[in-house]
Amino acid sequence: MISARAILSRSASLLACLGLLGIWQIGALILNTESFPTALEALRAIPSILGDKEALINILASLRRMAVGFALALVVSIPLGLMMGRSRAIASFFNPLLMIIYPVPKAALMPIIMLWLGVGDIAKTLVIFLGVSLPVIYHSFQGARAVEEKMLWSGAAMGLSALQRMIRIVLPAALPEILTGCRTGLVLALITMITSEMIARQSGAGNILFNALDMGQYDTVFAMIIIVGAMGIGLDAAFENLRGRLVRWSEPRFDIPLSFS
Amino acid sequence: MKLLPLRSDIPAESTPRRGLAPAMIEIDRVSQIFQTSGRQKHLALSEISLTIEDGAFVSILGPSGCGKSTLLYIVGGFVSPTGGVATMKGKPITGPGPDRGPVFQEFALFPWKSVLGNVMYGPRQQGVKPAQAEAQSRALIEMVGLKGFEDFYPKELSGGMKQRVALARTLAYHPAVLLMDEPFGALDAHTRTRLQNDLLNIWERDRKTVLFVTHSVEEAVFLSDKVVVMTRSPGRIKEIVDIDLPRPRRRAELLLDPHYQKYVVDIEHMIDDTSEDELRP
Repeated sequence: MISARAILSRSASLLACLGLLGIWQIGALILNTESFPTALEALRAIPSILGDKEALINILASLRRMAVGFALALVVSIPLGLMMGRSRAIASFFNPLLMIIYPVPKAALMPIIMLWLGVGDIAKTLVIFLGVSLPVIYHSFQGARAVEEKMLWSGAAMGLSALQRMIRIVLPAALPEILTGCRTGLVLALITMITSEMIARQSGAGNILFNALDMGQYDTVFAMIIIVGAMGIGLDAAFENLRGRLVRWSEPRFDIPLSFS
Repeated sequence: MKLLPLRSDIPAESTPRRGLAPAMIEIDRVSQIFQTSGRQKHLALSEISLTIEDGAFVSILGPSGCGKSTLLYIVGGFVSPTGGVATMKGKPITGPGPDRGPVFQEFALFPWKSVLGNVMYGPRQQGVKPAQAEAQSRALIEMVGLKGFEDFYPKELSGGMKQRVALARTLAYHPAVLLMDEPFGALDAHTRTRLQNDLLNIWERDRKTVLFVTHSVEEAVFLSDKVVVMTRSPGRIKEIVDIDLPRPRRRAELLLDPHYQKYVVDIEHMIDDTSEDELRP
């Protein structure tokens, strides 16, 4: 039997969303200004955006850049982070570099990158790549550093070479930590995607948003915010699902381990 | 200190009688110096020489910090000695290899692999066909008493069960020598006793060479043919005691056996002397 409490906790996020929309609706009705459409007006604008071929092409282009930037960042950052975690020399070489890049907002690099690479896909993908890289490097580094020495020795005794130990022991052992970094990276990819399109206005979801702002189509502005937010929530939920399946082994099936010598 | 002479001249096919069996591992004047954080040099092992015969169960016994684990890691090839040389079947040890299988106190299982996956890992790495590796591994899992737990992940197992898996995982790739580094040190007394009994039963079947590090006198006497008593700072061999107790050994009988009791008391005295040495300036 499902208790009322369980139903409540399961539908909590839905209730929170509805609550937020409700407050928005009431707030907008009270304020009654043109620049703050009601929740219903914004929601009503969504189908027309998603039904518009050009808008869809823009959004898909955004997602494509995001996917490419994210994937490239993983391909570079995971091996780099793992190597840094296992080699003091590599870590001491890259650490100062990363320390310098870390606090710089990646969008602040956009003007320079635009200057060198133009306002096209390459510049925007590069910014996404930079935004995703740091958390993934950091978490891969931490994960690799925490791998038990004796686990690697066990592998070495079985005849695994240094490279095999890296791929077949360090990588899976650090996977829970790596995926935590990837999750942060995914959200950062979405953020840098929109920011890059705000700065280099040529195409993309960010471009639709700011064009609508320029033209005073406030319902479209808010509808785009909802669409981008929904994309973020959807991507994050999908990633969490994948992560849960990949590292099922790291979470015990029982609360208390089996007791038997 | 009674040391066996280096007997590489004894042919390998000679019948394994204690003291006459061919040498499996020879440790020749091995020293290990660690650099401490204060830039001081710490002599962890000082000129250790030891011969371990084929098929012998040898325990290294000593207080914590006497370098007994380091000696085992040197034989395993995980650590290179600063001085001296360790050889296995006459060949210098330069790195880890499947002829020497470690079992660690920390278990060091692969947490992303099931019990079966862990045990199959070595044979698969050695190129054994999946079906054959699985059959062998299932038999080993049954032998260590974990039938029915093949699909469990290490996180779901108790310490004793994890160590059983670790033992099966190492036995699975047929090492000539088992290197056991305080394998039961993290377990409660009851579990420890059960695992000692089971280890002896398993060992009786094929009498692999075992190098077993422990700080428990009873454990060393109960399991071993030979107990190497070590001193601390620097780690040296104080005495090598041959344990002349009949096999197969039954715990209940042994605890009542005056010979067993004498071995335990004598060795405890040796260790007491060692501790007093430390108090001297």
